[in-house]
Amino acid sequence: MTIRVDPGNNEPRALFDLGDFNGQRVLEIGCGDGRLTWRYADKAVHVTAIDPFEGSITQAKENTPNELKGRVEFHHAAFEDFAAASEPSTFDMAILSWSLC
Amino acid sequence: MVHALEEIIHLIKPDGCLIDIHPVREAPLIKVHQGGDLLFTESDPGYDYDEGLQHADKALEEAVLRGLYRIEGKAEFELVTYASSVYEMRDYWAKYSAFDDEPKDEAITTRQNDVYAQTDKIMQNASGAEITYHERARITRLKPNASYKKEQ
Repeated sequence: MTIRVDPGNNEPRALFDLGDFNGQRVLEIGCGDGRLTWRYADKAVHVTAIDPFEGSITQAKENTPNELKGRVEFHHAAFEDFAAASEPSTFDMAILSWSLC
Repeated sequence: MVHALEEIIHLIKPDGCLIDIHPVREAPLIKVHQGGDLLFTESDPGYDYDEGLQHADKALEEAVLRGLYRIEGKAEFELVTYASSVYEMRDYWAKYSAFDDEPKDEAITTRQNDVYAQTDKIMQNASGAEITYHERARITRLKPNASYKKEQ
């Protein structure tokens, strides 16, 4: 058996209860290896997912499902640097994914 | 940290929203199941409601008090991770915490090793048993305050 994380989909269920992702441009801060990203990205129009740890981003890029390529972009970046280089009012939704600490 | 929440306001559209997910204060539980039976449960002694998490809670409160955001909804959920052995579970968490450069408290590490050793012993004697790790998290939807955004 391999590790299974949240097979009951408790996290995406809680996420969908609070947010409608349909047609949204989403910024995910602290995406890690993309574990949560895959759960909602098919509903969004575009996802930009960032994480300060290069290893996690490499893993996320490698594991991107084919059907989500072109819709999800992963960036190895600290939030402060990403924010400084970004245009204002770009995203419909931002997610702090276990990263506000 | 409140600074990060201010930065996010600039990046989201005026009618956009922020969703925050972070762990609650209570320690995660380690459980062993065999079939439908619960054989063991213990809180993770390695869990630390540390300064970072305390700051996260305070930052959200402060952002709301300062009128940057208003809370539109919140809930709690349980994130459960399953593994077939203690080794597999510990290896998984070791990879996750590989970037954590905080020094570990020796006494806590010893207690954590004891709990995992106890867990392993139970699993060795229970064919087909599964170990699960239960973390509770809070999810909050925040709306940027339109007047604050206009002032920027």
